[in-house]
Amino acid sequence: MSERRVPVTVIGGYLGAGKTTLINQLLAGRHGRRLAILVNDFGSVNIDAGLIASHDGETISLENGCICCSLADSLGDALDAVLALDPAPDQIVIEASGVADPAKVAYYGQGWPGCRLDAVVVLADAEMIRGLSDDQFVGELVTRQLRSGDVVALTKTDLVPDSSLDELEAWINTMDETSGTVVRVAHGLVDHRVVLDSAGDVANFGSTGESVDAHELFESVVFEFSSAVEREWLESALESWSDQIVRVKGIIALVDEGRHLVHRVAKRWSIEPTSDNCHANSLVVVALSGATELSQIAADVKRVNLLKD
Amino acid sequence: MTIDRPSSAIKVFTARRVRTMEHSQPIAEAVAVRDGRIVEVGTLETMRPWLDNHPHEIDDTFADHVIMPGFIDPHLHPSMAAVLLPMEFTTATDWSLPWEDVGAVASRVELLERLTELNDRLEADEPLFAWGHHPIWHGEIDRLQLNDISGTRPIVVWHRGYHLFIVNDAFYAWLDVDMDAARRHPQVDVERGAFFETGLGFAMRYLGPFLLGSERFRAGLDRMRQVIHHGGQTTIGDAAFGMYGFEREWEHLNDVMERPDTPFRIQFMVAAMNPEGHEASDRSMVEHILQLPERNTHRLRFSDHVKMFADGGFFAELMQLGFPGHLDGRHGEWMTPPARFEEIARSLWNAGLKIHVHCTGDNGIELVLQTLEKLQAERPRFDHRFTFEHFGISRPQQVDRLAALGAIASVQVYYVYELSRAFADHTLGYERSSQISRLGSLERAGVRFAVHSDYTMAPARPLNNAWVAANRINESGEVMCPNERISLDAAMRAITINAAYVLGLENEIGSLSWGKMADFTILDADPYDVGVEGLNEIPIWGTVFEGEKFAIET
Repeated sequence: MSERRVPVTVIGGYLGAGKTTLINQLLAGRHGRRLAILVNDFGSVNIDAGLIASHDGETISLENGCICCSLADSLGDALDAVLALDPAPDQIVIEASGVADPAKVAYYGQGWPGCRLDAVVVLADAEMIRGLSDDQFVGELVTRQLRSGDVVALTKTDLVPDSSLDELEAWINTMDETSGTVVRVAHGLVDHRVVLDSAGDVANFGSTGESVDAHELFESVVFEFSSAVEREWLESALESWSDQIVRVKGIIALVDEGRHLVHRVAKRWSIEPTSDNCHANSLVVVALSGATELSQIAADVKRVNLLKD
Repeated sequence: MTIDRPSSAIKVFTARRVRTMEHSQPIAEAVAVRDGRIVEVGTLETMRPWLDNHPHEIDDTFADHVIMPGFIDPHLHPSMAAVLLPMEFTTATDWSLPWEDVGAVASRVELLERLTELNDRLEADEPLFAWGHHPIWHGEIDRLQLNDISGTRPIVVWHRGYHLFIVNDAFYAWLDVDMDAARRHPQVDVERGAFFETGLGFAMRYLGPFLLGSERFRAGLDRMRQVIHHGGQTTIGDAAFGMYGFEREWEHLNDVMERPDTPFRIQFMVAAMNPEGHEASDRSMVEHILQLPERNTHRLRFSDHVKMFADGGFFAELMQLGFPGHLDGRHGEWMTPPARFEEIARSLWNAGLKIHVHCTGDNGIELVLQTLEKLQAERPRFDHRFTFEHFGISRPQQVDRLAALGAIASVQVYYVYELSRAFADHTLGYERSSQISRLGSLERAGVRFAVHSDYTMAPARPLNNAWVAANRINESGEVMCPNERISLDAAMRAITINAAYVLGLENEIGSLSWGKMADFTILDADPYDVGVEGLNEIPIWGTVFEGEKFAIET
């Protein structure tokens, strides 16, 4: 499949989890990507008037190239509308409604013509989530929402002591084996690498093994391969890495198969053929800060490269 | 309302009997009408003061018939029905449609036979849409079985509860479906030919322009006109106007329904949907709703009644259940986040609007009760007409609270007929399933209630709903929870005066006495003579709408 499919990220979570704050941040953010953000209600999105290039009914265009569309009609119609833009957006972000199961919204990203599912990010208010999970009316719903996240972002963590956060994280991790990576968010600031497919701007990163960005929460490392890689090795690597590895993206030459796009968000991954001509043969790995696994991965990559050389 | 033209003559309809549904004078022999409204109800003898002083004529067309107040269904969906009515009906129960009687299709063999028959009958280039498949009766249907019926005609077999359909290969070719995307979609099963839930959203990308095309939609609305008349209805409530695009719906309904030969009126409940909004947008929604009556025409009317949604659909098994939940462990859904539900309800309540809430499971009903309890404590209202719509699974104690809060109910009673056995086996277990649509408790608690069809969820035949309510016989012939049956009188009130009350129209319609609209349903027999067992069999001659006769063509 050579046609480029636009990555879709779904942002879910119950009312008050911080979805709107995150969306405001993405609209104004310096991520350098042209986002199309589909929201349920314009009213709560707070866009600085100075940033607005034009406002046409259900669509607001920003000076930074991003657009924000209201989901007044169907999600499918909105997707078709933004996919028809020229140039197409770099990425689509869908705000799931507070009572939606984000996994179901994600099906649109997976199966809509022209789209590819990037990630399901579920936000949870660190102060409220335990209480909500016991609520007579929404307990089942919020628990289901947490389970469907590739990444669960605990928001408002600055209001909760660290010991409670550890407990909370353990509770989410025990919910079931498919629950995703838990990241902590303070003061409403979500690292855009969690939400966006931006780790994949491969060319912008440094050389093999070098940590390109020291951050409180995440670190990104680029691993380069000296020659084509066995599919079997790559698949087993993507499968076995833990959910401490938040994102992986890259272009890899596979033995006898040519170049492939590799994506991994938390535990979900894909390998797809690409006609992209770039010469990179590398993976960008974004991990939770201090993940000991990175050195293990570095050693594995080194071994693969030595075997080939 | 009709403009007064005092010079026009009085017309007196005489009948074998007039059932007024008024306690003061339950039975009469004649109704005098002028300008579409009732002048007096009584006998030719008691009407003498009017007849001696005014020009009049006697119309004895109904000498062998019984005049009742025009039937009212306070909750159906003309626009949804307009999408469905052009399709072929293949459900597990009988349908009497104005253009044909459709027999039940109760097994897989029967369904495949019916589809084959339809395929032989249709024009060569017409796609075949069949609605009514339900695995409980028909088992699983797949693409290959449909390919056997036709390799060239697109076939779509739509689930009874709407959330799934099955297609053949000709369907894929007809609409040039992106098969790669379809294969990637987790809720499209290309091999089985199945599109379900969000997969329907995918399919509508291709199918929408055909199904919702203006010509087809209007043809569907015109069928809906016939259906409403056929059931003997002279007023209906459109219980969620505006869900398919407000202005588009308004334009089509206005063109198709607002005609001199339409023998009924429609009262709209606007869908007050703002699940992801906030207080300011709730306020502008309320302002919008309050202005809508300015658009009213003779037959199409907005009012101060609005519609909200709590939990998911009953046929689709998405109701919110309290302990012990669904038999198979599945979960229900919320159509509005509970926290937003309370905020929206408060905005509507404080604006003095009359709130109707779609609620189907006992946990959904619990949310609505708790919300109403808060609103009554904050800002007490009398005669508020807060209406519980559908009322699928409730607990007896919830009925007492509903009564204490002054609320009323509009109940989907056909659930008992079509679903009580299937839900006992597959969804709820017997105890809860036998007590679906708890009408007897509402009658004992003195709560006013109507029954509705939610058409096309149930046939738009009020006498049939009254029959189910009074007998609680299901499609398997079992009587489900006899203690929840209601009396004959309560059943007849539920499709006349109490249905008018639910719509806030009890001063104009629903019973026969002076000043009310001259809307009648003309029956071959008096339901009070026939008794509860035979209510659904009483032939309907037709209706009188605002003094004009509209026979049902046979």
